[in-house]
Amino acid sequence: MLALNSIREFRTRPLRTLLTLAGVAVTTAMLADMLMLGRGITRSFGELLESRGYELRLAPKGTLPFDTEATVPGFATLRDSVERVAGVDRVAPVLAASVTLETADDAGRSVEALALGMDSGDQGLYRLTEGEMPRPGEVLTDADVRGSLGVGPGNVVRLRPAGATGAWGRRSTAQVSGTGEFAFASRGDLQVVMRLDDLQELSSQEDQVSFAMIRIGEGFEPDSVRAAILARVDRVEIVTLAGISERLDGRLSYFRQTALILASVSLVVATLLVGTLTAVSVSERLGLIAALRAIGLSRRRIVGGLAAESVVLCSIGGAVGVALSVVVAGYLESILSDFPGLPVAVRFFVVSADSLVTAFALLLVSGTVAGLIPALNATRLEVASILHKEAP
Amino acid sequence: MRVGYRGLTRILPRRHSVALSAASVALLPWVPIGAHAQHCPAGLEVLVERPYAAAAGLTVGSAVVVRPAIEAEPCNAVVAGIFEPPPDPATLNATRPRVLFHLPHLQTLTDRRNEVDYFTVRTRPGTDLAALATDLEPLLPGAQVLPVSEVAERSSTTFRVVSRFHTAIAVITLIAGGVFLGCIMILKVQERRLPIAAARLTGIPRRLLFWWTVAEAAMLSTLGGAAGLGVGVASSAVVNAYYQRYYDTTLVFSQVTGVVVTEALALAVLLGMAAGVFAATRLLASDPLDEMGR
Repeated sequence: MLALNSIREFRTRPLRTLLTLAGVAVTTAMLADMLMLGRGITRSFGELLESRGYELRLAPKGTLPFDTEATVPGFATLRDSVERVAGVDRVAPVLAASVTLETADDAGRSVEALALGMDSGDQGLYRLTEGEMPRPGEVLTDADVRGSLGVGPGNVVRLRPAGATGAWGRRSTAQVSGTGEFAFASRGDLQVVMRLDDLQELSSQEDQVSFAMIRIGEGFEPDSVRAAILARVDRVEIVTLAGISERLDGRLSYFRQTALILASVSLVVATLLVGTLTAVSVSERLGLIAALRAIGLSRRRIVGGLAAESVVLCSIGGAVGVALSVVVAGYLESILSDFPGLPVAVRFFVVSADSLVTAFALLLVSGTVAGLIPALNATRLEVASILHKEAP
Repeated sequence: MRVGYRGLTRILPRRHSVALSAASVALLPWVPIGAHAQHCPAGLEVLVERPYAAAAGLTVGSAVVVRPAIEAEPCNAVVAGIFEPPPDPATLNATRPRVLFHLPHLQTLTDRRNEVDYFTVRTRPGTDLAALATDLEPLLPGAQVLPVSEVAERSSTTFRVVSRFHTAIAVITLIAGGVFLGCIMILKVQERRLPIAAARLTGIPRRLLFWWTVAEAAMLSTLGGAAGLGVGVASSAVVNAYYQRYYDTTLVFSQVTGVVVTEALALAVLLGMAAGVFAATRLLASDPLDEMGR
């Protein structure tokens, strides 16, 4: 009943109502987007890490995987120590090195790519999409390397460490075994994967790895296994997935803080808009309100009717805003997807039900409060004096 | 002009012609070491960046131990000075402290004698940098030669992306502000329907009433814009104070320039006038006799 009255009231002033709804919708969209931004990076990066199936990472002291070109030397001994720790199910070492790939024919095409050296059969960092996983003397490329060099499964490519040329540096040839998608590749990155010992030999980094992924057994907690490993080895960094997400979050704290500020501003603007409109609407109807009071309508009923207008405004505008926020999030994501150094799979804006519901609920509560204040003030005024003042 | 190793992933701009070698080194609290390891340069000195020196309690003359890798043998060194890191946004999120060595010392320490990661070349005025880069590269196998402008271009991708993001947010804010202003103007003209109708009936020309409404909207938005600029200047100061403290840097994060002030005010006035035109057109479209309750 109250809502129907509100809708009738809005229809008498369509332009004003439309503009207010547009304002509420834009500010709700901004609010929802900023909530998505505030939570998105940590959430999507956490999901990406968890999807790999390894709960711990081992990296050179003071670094994170793919953070620097530092390596862990003497890995065979270290691996032996780590694998003896209770709760460690599997250790998957990774060596990352920049390499130059050239076609073996006379075409002379070459590209620089990040090569990952991994154990046989380990797909922790990529997914095979065509062909087979690399065996000794083979390399698996991503689609961009394949496109740039024009090579596919069965073709032979020449490999050398990036920077090495002519007679300097080691070089080798490898057969392309297939194509894959690389989980941590950032935009514009070219990646290939080969056997760990092949890459160690090519890059002159025998018995070295950039980092290792550690899978823990069922029933073990990552933190307790981490502590147990650190008790045995002290020259490396052991981090849990939560620890990695936390450090990334710290590095991108700018976006979280910006999101908090803009979300607050959006909420204030929406509250002001609804509050202003309700205040004007109430002041226009002071005579009517006084007349209703005079014929015996309770204050609660009148306040409820006026507050219902704010609720209806916020509900309709908020619903439109929530839908709009998904579109705006896609646009803003397309801008930030060029952010260098982050895996393509990491998203700044993750559309989630909790962000949308929180934005809608915040708007509804603040809009209702903003509408209640002028309504309460209006019903506290002296009925007789208002009727006298408003009399024609 | 920058000459660097092809595989170098991080390019840091430098203004002067220096040869640089970058390496991961560990700087540890001083512990007595009986004998100098063979790879330790004699008279090893190090400059430490101010934020790290303050956090670690290092001062000029402090004794420290340096080693190129965690498992390497340590070398004794003396802190010869503390330096203020240049306000470089590219290194804001650097997680490791920066220290400076004499080039030969670092080459000896890391066993990379006669190696540098890159060096810069000062060219004579009027030199065609692109042509020079093309001529130089074949002479330096395994190296790439880049004009400094290209180095800056490559290392500023992050800030270009952030700048585009800011622009998009500004556009959304502008839309929200425009709608808010339009709403306020509609409310104002609806309040004034009777006086305006009376004014029209007394013979005041529509054009005058139209421009009066537009001018009022422009004035309102100018005042609002000026107040917003005040808030902006204050916010800018808060942002700079907060982030300079957060990152312990002298970098200026937010600048309110003349161009920013002009653009913001111009946009506010234009937006106000547009809202005024819209409101005035609607206000003057109706018959004044109807408005007076004919």
